[in-house]
Amino acid sequence: MTPRERVNIAMSLSKPDKVPLMCQFSIGAMMQQLKPSPALFWYDGRVFADGLVALCERFGFDGILVSLHGHGDRWREGLMEIKDIDEGKQELIYGNRREIHSWSDLPMVKFNSANISREISSVDVEREIPSHIDYIPVSQDLRFHLHKSNMFGIFSYLRGIVGGKYSIHGEITSPFDYFLDFMGYENALVSLIIDPQKCKDILERFTKGICLLASDMCDEDIDAVKISSPFAGMGFISPEHYEEFVLPYESRIIEAIKDKGKRVYIHTCGHIGDRLELMQKSGASGLECLDPEPVGNVDLKDAFNRIGDSMFIKGNIDSVNTLLYADENKARADVLKILETGKQGNGFILSTACSIAPMVCSDRILMLRELTDRFGLY
Amino acid sequence: MNQILEQISICIQKGKVDSKMAYPPEMKGMPGADELTKAALDEGFSANDILSGALIHGMGIVGDLFREKRLFVPQVLMSAMAMKAAMVHLKPFFSSGELKQKGTFIIGTVAGDLHDIGKNLTAMMIEGAGWRVIDLGTDVKTERFLEVLNENGNAVVGLSALLTTTMEQMERSVKAIREHFPENRIVVGGAPVNSEFAKRIGASLYAPNPQVAVEYINSI
Repeated sequence: MTPRERVNIAMSLSKPDKVPLMCQFSIGAMMQQLKPSPALFWYDGRVFADGLVALCERFGFDGILVSLHGHGDRWREGLMEIKDIDEGKQELIYGNRREIHSWSDLPMVKFNSANISREISSVDVEREIPSHIDYIPVSQDLRFHLHKSNMFGIFSYLRGIVGGKYSIHGEITSPFDYFLDFMGYENALVSLIIDPQKCKDILERFTKGICLLASDMCDEDIDAVKISSPFAGMGFISPEHYEEFVLPYESRIIEAIKDKGKRVYIHTCGHIGDRLELMQKSGASGLECLDPEPVGNVDLKDAFNRIGDSMFIKGNIDSVNTLLYADENKARADVLKILETGKQGNGFILSTACSIAPMVCSDRILMLRELTDRFGLY
Repeated sequence: MNQILEQISICIQKGKVDSKMAYPPEMKGMPGADELTKAALDEGFSANDILSGALIHGMGIVGDLFREKRLFVPQVLMSAMAMKAAMVHLKPFFSSGELKQKGTFIIGTVAGDLHDIGKNLTAMMIEGAGWRVIDLGTDVKTERFLEVLNENGNAVVGLSALLTTTMEQMERSVKAIREHFPENRIVVGGAPVNSEFAKRIGASLYAPNPQVAVEYINSI
């Protein structure tokens, strides 16, 4: 059985020969392992793709999550200087901002003038919200621009390297995240209360663009799309707000992806124990993350009982408290418990809940393969 | 509690800023924290009665509900807006010395980290508990914490980090603060932080949510 078949069988709620293993790496974790030029790793699609393959093979994963796509050369426009400021640390200087790229984490962007907080009433939805999505809102002040001419080239490049061996998944960002990024986090969250209808108009517009993006992505040789929706958990919004401002929009994207015959799973960080059934209502094929205590509040067994009849689960190793900080015995015990519980469910992929933290050492990641090979057999 | 103070407290709890604000729907058209605070002063209530009997009381309830996950960030932000509207009327009493804050709380997200939601929420709740807050923003270098501590000797310091990689920076900052200001209390928080880590780096407290920080500094 190939790794790709293994993942696909699990995503179809069946049991392959053994539990598939497929973690998502944080950008920092990838760079800690590979030690590339940090700016090139972020901006150059081939360097990034080669890194994804190298890590998948190094750690024996069954699939590759492509968290960035649409690479191009536009990042060089307006670039005034690249400074090597330390080992594995570069500063890119533009007219309006400075970017620090380092091996330790995501790039840090500092604009020369601070963004001014927007009033929801002043937003011109038709004019300001793009009908075609040309960026990924990665983190605070950090956007990854998508180049139309090479929107999904990374997928064919990857298939050219790995053939049909591994399962390849694309990633898109939820409309709610685009909305938060556009308005500014606090402003956006207050706007849900002050002007809910305007928020829905903005979400609607983003949803149309993201549906097109997701649908086009599905024309590539990928097996699934992950919807990244990190701010839709209990740490931020109520289940009622989830139902009003997240679910209807994500459901439409999920429908568009499933119409193309691909699987789709949602990734929401932190506490989501109160909304598993709502997430199930989205029609997604699976859920990822399901952070356990203390980062979240999901018990894997309970999650399988509640939603496991219709959704696969990809999770839920605590990347910080198990992989990064626990001693060897605790780390192994934590992973074995998850493996045992996961095997009882219908569709299970062993993974970290959130992405592998940057400073997790190689041995800890290799341990996942070793334990899966020994104890993950069906 | 007197009726008007109770009404102000309810406005804080419900995030009712002023009469123009349509939220919450069940209080549409009613006076909010803004008008009621002015009215209470006009009726002869002291600024201290209003601050401790209504505003701090209301924000305390908000903090408890947020900790219990019965209130969420948007509602807390609305409460903070209502608090801010009320505080406008009390500002002159701070300037005149009639009102005194409980102490000074210096807060910032550590160097290398630009995330600020958790830090901002904590700052709002601590301000709502009657403390003067000096918000140093994000990506705050150790030297900046030390500099501001030099100017505010008895202040409590709060450090936030969202990234696992910036936890190392948090450790460096906490150790430097400990070295220069061994008596000052240090509170740390953020998604990857826990009490074991806080203890190891020499912080006084790990606050998993803003209300824990409020209760701790109020108990000092």
